[in-house]
Amino acid sequence: MSLTSPDATSPDKVDDVVAARRAYNEGLAATKREDRSWGFAIGFVILMAALPLLQFNWNANYILHMALYTFMYIAMSSAWNIVGGYTGYISLGHNVFFGIGGYISGMLLAGAGISTLITAPLAGLIAAICGVFVGLITLRVRGPSFIISSIALLMIVRILFDNWDYIGGSNGLSVPVTSLSAQWAKIPYFYAMLVIAIVTVIASYKIKHSKFGLGLRALSQDEVKAESAGIDTVTYKVMAFAISAFFVGMCGAIWGEYLSYIRPNIFLIILVAANMVLMCIIGGKGTVTGPIVGSILIIFFNEAVVWQLGFSAINILGTGIVMLLTLMLFPLGIVGTLAKKGHLPRFLDWD
Amino acid sequence: MAELLEVHDVVAGYGNGPAILNGTSIKVRKGQIQCIIGPNGAGKSTLLKTICGILPIRSGKVVLNGEKIDGSQPHEILRKGICFVPQERALFPRMSVRENLRMGGFILDDRAELERRIDDVLDRFPILRERASQLASTMSGGQQQMLTMARTMIVRPDIVMLDEPSLGLAPKIVEQVYEMIKLLRDDGITILLIEQNAILGLGNADWGVVLDLGKTLFEGPAKDILADQRIQELYLGRKSKVA
Amino acid sequence: MTNAIQVLILGITLGGVFALMASGLTLIFGVMRIVNLAHPIMIIWGAFVAYWLFKLYGVDPIISMPIAAAFMFVVGLVLYKVVYAKEAASAKYSEMTVLLTFAVALVLDGAASTAFSNTQRVTSPFYATDAFIFGPIFIPTAQLYAGIVSIILIGGLFIFLQFTRTGYAIRATTQNRTAAGLLGVNVAFISLLTFAMGSALAGASGALVSFVFSFYPAKHWEWIAVLMSLVVLGGMGKLHGTIIGAFVLSIIAAFVGTYAGATWSTITFFLALFVILLVRPQGLFGDPIEGS
Repeated sequence: MSLTSPDATSPDKVDDVVAARRAYNEGLAATKREDRSWGFAIGFVILMAALPLLQFNWNANYILHMALYTFMYIAMSSAWNIVGGYTGYISLGHNVFFGIGGYISGMLLAGAGISTLITAPLAGLIAAICGVFVGLITLRVRGPSFIISSIALLMIVRILFDNWDYIGGSNGLSVPVTSLSAQWAKIPYFYAMLVIAIVTVIASYKIKHSKFGLGLRALSQDEVKAESAGIDTVTYKVMAFAISAFFVGMCGAIWGEYLSYIRPNIFLIILVAANMVLMCIIGGKGTVTGPIVGSILIIFFNEAVVWQLGFSAINILGTGIVMLLTLMLFPLGIVGTLAKKGHLPRFLDWD
Repeated sequence: MAELLEVHDVVAGYGNGPAILNGTSIKVRKGQIQCIIGPNGAGKSTLLKTICGILPIRSGKVVLNGEKIDGSQPHEILRKGICFVPQERALFPRMSVRENLRMGGFILDDRAELERRIDDVLDRFPILRERASQLASTMSGGQQQMLTMARTMIVRPDIVMLDEPSLGLAPKIVEQVYEMIKLLRDDGITILLIEQNAILGLGNADWGVVLDLGKTLFEGPAKDILADQRIQELYLGRKSKVA
Repeated sequence: MTNAIQVLILGITLGGVFALMASGLTLIFGVMRIVNLAHPIMIIWGAFVAYWLFKLYGVDPIISMPIAAAFMFVVGLVLYKVVYAKEAASAKYSEMTVLLTFAVALVLDGAASTAFSNTQRVTSPFYATDAFIFGPIFIPTAQLYAGIVSIILIGGLFIFLQFTRTGYAIRATTQNRTAAGLLGVNVAFISLLTFAMGSALAGASGALVSFVFSFYPAKHWEWIAVLMSLVVLGGMGKLHGTIIGAFVLSIIAAFVGTYAGATWSTITFFLALFVILLVRPQGLFGDPIEGS
């Protein structure tokens, strides 16, 4: 008795079917680029490092300030990406570590006169240790509960710092201003932030392409299955959280000395966390270059808005609208969407 | 026999992912038990989901009794006469057996008739009547499957689609489940079912369909499919006797 | 001793208000698995509706409740259609949806701040400064009225969910969305209705809040954590859990606030959240969390 296929073009011999199946499976496989544009990356870094040369002939303070600010957010959103993008835990209060780093280094500066340029790694380390303790508690729950706990943490720390007179309460700490002349005052902080940004991005790249990163990716998709595959999900999550906190803390330390004052209503407001998150999303959550692209874009946009309308509640409205449109129209972000369509240019493809 | 349900050249997939169904076509005849077999990922569950409206189709059409139903919502398709029992045994865990049956008749407007049908079903299945006030989540797998299928009797659809009814059940319970399937068929309901256990599924069916590579590769009377050597080698694990 | 009873009653009335505030949140999460971070700012919008009705036309905030509720019902409908309808179709919890609600919260916050600035406001109907005095016990009238009205509304919500066909459909969708859809529930419509209802509840509770607390747009960040701690304590998506959680935590917070100062009263909720996550992450009545 022979059965016929309803469709004349379908294979009906055993070998043909097996071959067709193999071809079908291959068609579903994803492809990855292997060569990286190191030239572009190194060129970009050299260009950035050379920016202060402008200061010799022109007053480039505004440019240096914007660049410094951008490097800081590149670092912070890349750091956030490690937890939010790679591990899949959305932290909406991540600037807690920004505040901790800022205050630790700030107190050392105010009390012992040691510049944050030296104490930043220590501040980052302490922020990371806090990250371990916080993570052990909050990373126990997934999804919505974790997000809420991150906001609650921010609120708790804000209230505590507002009421803690030893560190200045809501008036905050003032720290001594640098003794460098106006022409050179920004330079050390510029390079500090540039270095932090570079280190953070390199760390992000290395994590993504390591066994650690693979484990994070597994647990971001299905934590139970990752655990049963032998991945120690608790250690991985907490480590990712601590590493992220480290970089954010260092940024806080440098920013505090740069501003010369450290206040809860600058460091611990939700807008800072919102910006970190937005920059990462609009660039591409979970990609290496996404946070970089996102930071540059959002800071540009913010500056344009502030120029036109001044800093006000419109800022919050604007950030919200941009985030809304991005999430609704380009949820994968610029880098993510380009990658999916196969149009990602080589210099942005480090995934 | 008239064709109750026709699926023409349907292309469908999940989200923005690749197409799982690549132009699948099947015909379901009234009064039959039809079984779909095929390897994992072939698109069997996907096909049922497109028919009942849970998954939108990218191209092709689904026609019930001459009426195009692709693009309709699941609750509309239920009213038109197709009831789907998914793999995950869609029960309401915190409702009792009776409440689950009542939800089964959600689309019935005549509440008195609904209560009559519930009592009727409970009479036919004493195990369920014993547990009428018990929460669905506290019952065994086999009892849950029985409840899910009993629930389809409340609504009296034209077609019941079952996604792997024997999944996770002990062999003796599986026998009971297939007894219930035959009861449904005797009540005049047309059955379309998916089984990984091809021998079990085809053994209990009138008509068989082999789905692979997102298409219907073979179809015919269930007994013939079971006996065909190519099918045996590709899907039933027996080496061909012809070298 | 009498002081303690007074604080207890205060805690209970506040518990009622917080329960009402959180009920919309729980409802929306139950049906659509969306954590609506924009819920508290919607409460504040409702508060503004009551505030301006009072300031401009002298309407008592309790009378404004249905108006605020209706207004926010429409806002919820629009928001759902524009922002959430696509996401809600998949109805699996996803971080993207939470971020969407976060963005909406920023937008609603920014809009309110721009329009009305961040000054503290409070509605002051004639009973705002009165108090009921039973012997040694002193209960501010505003708090008492708000508590009573809240409890009545929550009761109404329960009756709706338990005894009406739509309520049934909502409960079924909460327990198993796919099954509900397969049994004839128009899940898309139920999602829309639930979201709008949740927003209406936010609006109604906002009208009450307008004379119980002083409010300003940025205050919603504080309330997110407070309301969420109730919801997490009760178990995500379980309405009875949220209500019990609200009363328990409000009573504790009332005692903390009386004996340690008002600032610490708010921290109670945040700390409670952390403790719950540490000790019993699924809350009192929630489903056990996989892998914990």
